[in-house]
Amino acid sequence: MSAVSASEKVDGFTRKSVRKAQKQRKSQGSSQFRTQIAPIELSPLPQLKDAPSTDQQELFCQKLQQCCTLFDFLDSVGDLKSKEVKRAALNELVDYLSTNRGVLVENAYPEITNMITTNIFRALPPSDNPDFDPEEDEPTLEAAWPHIQLVYEFLLRFLENPDFQPSIAKRYIDQKFVLQLLELFDSEDPRERDFLKTILHRIYGKFLGLRAFIRKQINNIFLKFIYETEHFNGVAELLEILGSIINGFALPLKAEHKQFLMKVLIPLHTAKALSLFHAQLAYCVVQFLEKDPTLTEPVIRGLLKFWPKTCSQKEVMFLGEIEEILDVIEPSQFKKIQEPLFKQIAKCVSNPHFQVAERALYFWNNEYILSLIEENIDKILPIMFSSLYKISKEHWNQTIVALIYNVLKTLMEMNCPLFDELTASYKTQKQREMMKEQERDELWKKLEELQISRTSEVQNNSHGLPAALNNNSNNNNNNNEPRESSGDVEATAVIMEDLHQDATDTAGESVSCAK
Amino acid sequence: MDAVRLMKELRVNYEQEADFLPRETGLNLIVSAQQSGGQITARSRDVTVEDLWSLTSFFGYSTQSFVQAVSLLDRFLAMMRVQPKHLSCVSLSCLHLAARVTEAECDLTPADELIRIGQCRFTVSDLGRMEKIVAEKLRFKSKAVTALTFLQLYHQITLTHTTYRKETLSLEKLEAQLKACLCRISFSKAKPSVLALALLRQEMKSIQSDDMLEIAFHIQRHLKIPDAELQRWSERVARCLSDYASPKCCKPNHRKLQWIVSRRTAQNLHSHRSVPELPTIPEGCWDESESEDSGEDVMSSGDESLCSSLGSDAEGPFFPLHLRHQYLAA
Repeated sequence: MSAVSASEKVDGFTRKSVRKAQKQRKSQGSSQFRTQIAPIELSPLPQLKDAPSTDQQELFCQKLQQCCTLFDFLDSVGDLKSKEVKRAALNELVDYLSTNRGVLVENAYPEITNMITTNIFRALPPSDNPDFDPEEDEPTLEAAWPHIQLVYEFLLRFLENPDFQPSIAKRYIDQKFVLQLLELFDSEDPRERDFLKTILHRIYGKFLGLRAFIRKQINNIFLKFIYETEHFNGVAELLEILGSIINGFALPLKAEHKQFLMKVLIPLHTAKALSLFHAQLAYCVVQFLEKDPTLTEPVIRGLLKFWPKTCSQKEVMFLGEIEEILDVIEPSQFKKIQEPLFKQIAKCVSNPHFQVAERALYFWNNEYILSLIEENIDKILPIMFSSLYKISKEHWNQTIVALIYNVLKTLMEMNCPLFDELTASYKTQKQREMMKEQERDELWKKLEELQISRTSEVQNNSHGLPAALNNNSNNNNNNNEPRESSGDVEATAVIMEDLHQDATDTAGESVSCAK
Repeated sequence: MDAVRLMKELRVNYEQEADFLPRETGLNLIVSAQQSGGQITARSRDVTVEDLWSLTSFFGYSTQSFVQAVSLLDRFLAMMRVQPKHLSCVSLSCLHLAARVTEAECDLTPADELIRIGQCRFTVSDLGRMEKIVAEKLRFKSKAVTALTFLQLYHQITLTHTTYRKETLSLEKLEAQLKACLCRISFSKAKPSVLALALLRQEMKSIQSDDMLEIAFHIQRHLKIPDAELQRWSERVARCLSDYASPKCCKPNHRKLQWIVSRRTAQNLHSHRSVPELPTIPEGCWDESESEDSGEDVMSSGDESLCSSLGSDAEGPFFPLHLRHQYLAA
């Protein structure tokens, strides 16, 4: 991190934004470096469309092999001609595959997959910016994208080709291939992740034999993310794929899937970077609940267990997810979780962070949720009431106060007698508390007076004391000057003073002792 | 509280109550008005009073403020022809007037807050002007004699005669029931003393105290309330209270409440509903046999490093058995 001078700090901008302003261009990274010393020259091969059909197969393979040459894109001036040759060849290959039938003969498969693996399977470069914040910073893009993009495009066309045969392809697109593909999901380049998402989705769809493996590996990635590294850029994309998989689950749900929900998806909510993939995560959770409503109770209890305690942004997200879940919940399931859930909601509406309170109060604008509350008003109203009532008097934010009015009015209309009962008991409770306060104050006052009278008693009872001493002690209890008097009087005076000091401290108000 | 003095006070109020009754002709006009006629109907008046109840409750005003406000409102509506669009202004000004003479200074909600929470469209100066008009027309000086006045007196009288009794008459409950009755314009025609007595007797019946009913009878004779009148209102009160206490909720009706949220919250509200782009992949029943392919594990050695956190090898069950059992019940 570059040092930021004091003057730069003083103008109110954070370090991050200053650093961003200092960056002039988009950052790019790549792990493809030129290994050979001599430059590689690629000579353009004849066009496929011009070649006679008997030669096309051979030419196709030659072009594929040609494209296995890698170039260094961090060097922006080197090998420009050859890079262009490769790019044109790749483009041509994509077109050729898309527009012709019968291209995918058995021999072609290894050539194709070899070209693909050579180009895209690479160790991702270490991040330029160790403090990369996915929300704030611009991602580092892949420098070799002009070529890599076309390779991805080609892979996609390959998988989607009508002549594609998984039975042949599975020799090459195997577990090793999938594993390497999954590692690429950690790329910072969003365009790359987007391609990978679609590609993996197609592979999952076509290769039944790889499905269990893919699910297991995704599990590994997530668990590592949650419990070890807290770093992985492709969580959102993987979740999107999972969404389409969950959507297709057969009923009854397999135990494996339920465990995935409870052991992986729910803990995933604890990640710090939740905002990057929350939409997809919530979608997955809701899909599960639509498939099997009996999962509602463990899911909601899980969310309540992981409820954010200090991060308000996350709390707003959780509330959004709860609303989505409530939108599809069955009334019988609702009854099971209503009490713990509304206890949490009562805390949320009292939250001093206005966005959290607003989001929680907005639940009452949802017709379906209202109908659920109405059905169970006798359980829910007592839980919500005191928080709402208290906050209507105390919250700093005016918008919130207006929303609370809406909520209270709605609840009142649902069950008048219960509402009145709760209002009455709330008021009596408040009165009782006030009375207790008063009693406490009076008790301390009595103690004060007792102390004063006892001090004077003690003074009067000790021998040979000058009258002045008596007068002084009676007049001013806060007497700090040591007296030339008998030891025990002094000691008692000190003790009395301590007691008095404690009393004034605790009572919190000044007690005048002037007589 | 001296029983004799209470009875005297009762008499005094009884003599004054007629002054505070809304004009019957005016009330009848409202009751018979049609919805489409551009006049204030019984329904709109009832809805307005319900709103006043919500506001009273929300701001922590006493029942007295509410009852006074309703009295002002009914008297004003029975006297003046008010356009429906001004109804909310009239009702809020009645509440503000009533609160000013009833509540302590520190508990009084300022007019702008009243308007904002009530979700009304007029200004503070509008409210001020309307207050003046209402006060002038009704020659508003002090608190009206209302059913609440009588209810409180009756309650005190009952207490003085039953201090040795175990059953207690709850004033709060009576007040709540009174509020429920006041939400219906039909009760505005009742004499406050009769309405209060009907409520009292209803509650006494429900706690099954014959001794208390004796006291109620004593009051009735003291004020010379005719049996027929008391009976008529008692029936209506009974019906109203059974509706109030029934588990069926009153329909949230009339205008929808405005839900104003901050910009940021509004932005987040609908952004999460994204249509998934990827088509669904159906799980086939043949997926069970997938595990045979995972047997062709090319990377078993590499796998272990990744799977070690799970404690299982690449071919074993998904989760260790002892964990499985916990979740099968889910």
